[in-house]
Amino acid sequence: MSKLKLSGVSKAYGATLALRRGDLEVMAGEVHVLMGSNGSGKSTLCKIIAGSVRPDAGRILIDDTPATITGPRSARAQGIGIFYQELSLAAHRSVEENICLAALPVRAGLFVDRVSLKERAARYIALFDGVSGEGFAADALVGNLRPDQRQLVEIMKALASEAPLLIFDEPTSALDRAQVERFFEILGNLKRRGRGIIFISHRMDEIKAIGDRVTIIRDGETITTLNLDETDAATVIRLMVGGAGDMPASQSSVPAAVDIAAESALTVRNLSGAGFRDVSFEVGRGEILGFGGLHGQGQSALLRAIFGAGAITSGEIRIGSERFDASSPRDAIRRGLAYVSGDRSRDGVISGRPIIENVSPIHYLRDRLMIASPSRLRDRVLPALQSMHTKFASLFDPISALSGGNQQKVIIARWLIDRPDVLLLDDPTKGIDLSAKADLFTLIRQLAAEGLGILLYSSEDAELLGNANRILVFNGGSVSRELTGAERTRYNLYQAAYEAA
Amino acid sequence: MNQVISFIRQPVVVALVLIVALLYLGQLLSPGFASGGQILRLLIVAALLGIVAAGQNVVILGGREGIDLSVGGIVSLSAIIAGNVMNGADSGILPAIAACLAAGAFFGLLNGLGVTLLRIPPLVMTLGMLGVLQGLLVVIRMGIPSGQAAPALSRFVTQPLVFGLPGIIWLWIAVGLLMAFMLHRTVFGHRIYAIGSNEHAAYMAGVPVRPMRIALFVISGMFAALAGLCLLGYSGSSFANVGEQYTLTSIIAVVFGGTSLAGGKGGYTGTMAGAVLLVILQGILTTVNIDESGRQMVFGATLLLLMTFYGRGRAMRV
Amino acid sequence: MAEIATGPMSRRVGSIRRLLERYPFLPALGIVAALFLLNGFFSPASLSYRALTGLLSTYMALILLSIAQTYVVYAGDIDLSVGSILSLVNVTIIVLMERWGGGAGAVLLSLALGLLLGLACGLVNGLVVAALRLQAIVATFATSIFFTGLALYILPVAGTPAPTLFWRTYGGRLFGLPFVFYILAVLLVLLFMLARTRLAAQLLAVGDDRQAAYQTGLPVVSVRIRGYLLCGLFAALAAFCITGDTASGDPLVGGKMTLYSVAAVVLGGSALAGGWGTVVGSLLGALTIGLINSLVFFMGTPSEWQNFMQGLAILLVLMAGVLAGRRARP
Repeated sequence: MSKLKLSGVSKAYGATLALRRGDLEVMAGEVHVLMGSNGSGKSTLCKIIAGSVRPDAGRILIDDTPATITGPRSARAQGIGIFYQELSLAAHRSVEENICLAALPVRAGLFVDRVSLKERAARYIALFDGVSGEGFAADALVGNLRPDQRQLVEIMKALASEAPLLIFDEPTSALDRAQVERFFEILGNLKRRGRGIIFISHRMDEIKAIGDRVTIIRDGETITTLNLDETDAATVIRLMVGGAGDMPASQSSVPAAVDIAAESALTVRNLSGAGFRDVSFEVGRGEILGFGGLHGQGQSALLRAIFGAGAITSGEIRIGSERFDASSPRDAIRRGLAYVSGDRSRDGVISGRPIIENVSPIHYLRDRLMIASPSRLRDRVLPALQSMHTKFASLFDPISALSGGNQQKVIIARWLIDRPDVLLLDDPTKGIDLSAKADLFTLIRQLAAEGLGILLYSSEDAELLGNANRILVFNGGSVSRELTGAERTRYNLYQAAYEAA
Repeated sequence: MNQVISFIRQPVVVALVLIVALLYLGQLLSPGFASGGQILRLLIVAALLGIVAAGQNVVILGGREGIDLSVGGIVSLSAIIAGNVMNGADSGILPAIAACLAAGAFFGLLNGLGVTLLRIPPLVMTLGMLGVLQGLLVVIRMGIPSGQAAPALSRFVTQPLVFGLPGIIWLWIAVGLLMAFMLHRTVFGHRIYAIGSNEHAAYMAGVPVRPMRIALFVISGMFAALAGLCLLGYSGSSFANVGEQYTLTSIIAVVFGGTSLAGGKGGYTGTMAGAVLLVILQGILTTVNIDESGRQMVFGATLLLLMTFYGRGRAMRV
Repeated sequence: MAEIATGPMSRRVGSIRRLLERYPFLPALGIVAALFLLNGFFSPASLSYRALTGLLSTYMALILLSIAQTYVVYAGDIDLSVGSILSLVNVTIIVLMERWGGGAGAVLLSLALGLLLGLACGLVNGLVVAALRLQAIVATFATSIFFTGLALYILPVAGTPAPTLFWRTYGGRLFGLPFVFYILAVLLVLLFMLARTRLAAQLLAVGDDRQAAYQTGLPVVSVRIRGYLLCGLFAALAAFCITGDTASGDPLVGGKMTLYSVAAVVLGGSALAGGWGTVVGSLLGALTIGLINSLVFFMGTPSEWQNFMQGLAILLVLMAGVLAGRRARP
């Protein structure tokens, strides 16, 4: 029986088309996986079903009858529960209150019924007994919990809706193995009881373990729906990335290891801090050093700390041969470090401001400018943007008018006006299209050839394998393995990432 | 067509259209309202408000709930200081300017330090500072006689100087040019927008966020002090809490100019139009023959109505 | 080794924090206690039964007004019109009571209408801020001008006296106890009950993260409007108290109280950003302001310095309140 059927659903935010044509059918008693690269429109599709985003067009059928969803309340009333990727928790409220927040039990129509609230919450908390970790309690404030525990609360909150159709938008990204296994047991039970489940994850092994069917979305369009036991990972990935395939990696041969004895660009010795411990490495001029491993194993935290934006408790950093005590990004920039984050909207884009103002801040700092003369800036800014093949109409258009990939190019261009010595790349291709990726990696290799030392963390193995001279695999905050030369294979990378986790 | 619509929806254009409409309305209600002399008088009042609003503007542009509720207190304080330092003598004008600006900068600095180092929300910090300033006003008022404006200062504010316009109008134009230059042609200005629209990204791009924020409050204090000085010239002698009204009206002028209270969006040209709009509205209400209660009700309701023309908050469902 | 050394220390810090988490008003309570002691030190008479009764009847209006402000601050909003609502209700009930002869029936009927008027003002604010989505700071400033105009229309100049029955009751005694004590007791019960309502929980959730609350399925707009309704209601109650205390009508009586109510909320440890706070804290915050004012007086501060000392002391405790409040929040 069809629980939910979407056809031709679309959504645009101003000029950007987030979802072009979303089709999806979820049956009772199945776990239906949604796959697609970042920014392909999966989350938008989920939010439309859950009522928090208003679709521009399209039809929605629930239990084979046409339905109109006017908002999250209406979605709940029609039997839809959702786990939001960005979480929908009140940080200053207790775990139990958060779990029951959507429908607080009341007495006398006015007062919160604490007893039944506790009872109801306890039921869902008990589902994760033993794996929820230290400090997890019904009366703990959500803001005091660890990221994985918060994610569990969001899961419990979604489960507490007891909705016939449940949506989980990347529910496992911060969970550990035991938590994921428990969660999958719960999902299995729900499935047997006839619930329809939409599940988004980027981990192929998880998808194989829990999913029944998979719908693939690419560039805002539903490509196809397949039975998972009749297909394999390679097919799914090929459909996800489309005709261009794995271009960035295959475009060029694996780079050779560079002799770093020549000259060191950046040296890190026994560095520990928030999220990483006892990391040592050296990156030479002209070398691209890759950081691999599962998401959130300390790679980003380390890069931020080197850049002066994260806590360091012990160890030392040397730029060239000089010691560098990172105290702020400002210092780091002055000393020739550059940092590009994949989280553009948080770390990079000065939203609503013209492109030119988004390219120039580093130039202001390094050249100690006081006056920002547009004509003089233009001469410095344009070559930087052109070297990235950035597409834009005018330097004075707001950066938000550009596509994600072009926005990221603008952010990278700001580091190209005054050349840095070391480039820190923190998953820089997150959510950008393939041609932008190709441009980016061409540039990175060129910069390496010009003598920059480059640290590249990527959540996509192909990017590491295709570009890094060496790869350090991170696990639980420290380096678990170094892959050089012929060791740099997908298999080794995968194995090293999982071995201790 | 879309371009036309987006042009019309620009806050500056909205404000200008409303200004013309209000002038016309004023002329209908009380013939002579839109005469040159009357408009000039309104512009002088608008200049005082506009100068305070310049400081308020940069603090709000800097984001992070930036707001300065102490400007009213600084205006009053500055008027008193100026009156006592110059005490009716032209020779005292320069020392008075120095003393006022120093006082404004000092209290702005305290605001900025509280907001950045102690991380007190701007609303709370500047609200507390307003209380301190009001107390200080009482102390000064009891201790020393109320001073007089120097004749030259009064002339500067009220009498035509060049091309028939009084000096304060020229001063306001200069402030407008200075603000436009600072916001759009200096690194400092670009950094104000950067911290206002994405503080974290600005930090990661090497913008000195805390010193910037302190500077914004200092600027706000100094503009308020400058306005206080001019206000003394306008009224001849200072009286208690002469600047009180500026605290909230300066915020309204900024909002009517299209600057978002969330920061990072807007500019001073709009604020100037917003100040003129506000003053003309008040001017109409004083000329028409209704009593104080009716005037206030109409003023409050009109403010609400006008606000609906400007940036309303985002809908929950997009 | 290092972990063993830091273990007990961090646990101790943790337990203080847990205490603050449960009772965010504790720092405010400490400040109030300290101010009582200081008052007693400089003037033992200031702690007399009489003096305390006087303090309470003078500051009961501010206490209620601060509580009114707290409910909108819960939801991340602010109301700069509370003072004007207080003025408006004050002059309205004064005029009605006078017109209807000042008997018990007239007083009660006027009070009932006063409550309705407070609710109506709250509704206007709620609609303007939550439904029309205007910025709370400027929109409620605009409504405050409107309400003040209305108050001036109803009573152009201060002065009409309240019926004797009314202020005698407020300032008098009942069964041997001052009437304000009964007000305080009823208020505490009311606050206790309100804290347990679904609305309180929803207001805090909306203030915590408006988008998250919406996505959770809370009726965000209606919750915020109800916050403003509650605010209007308590502002009307505050108006009753100020009428009892001053025994007259004044269309501008509340003007200065708005900003004090915001200060009291912050003093009580609530976050202006919303999502975190207690009404008891605001009650204590309002008392703090009252006690500072009386302390400055009893310390023998020269009269011209009193306002300055009050302002400075309030700024300092505001800072302390913010810093302590931040330690408590997750």
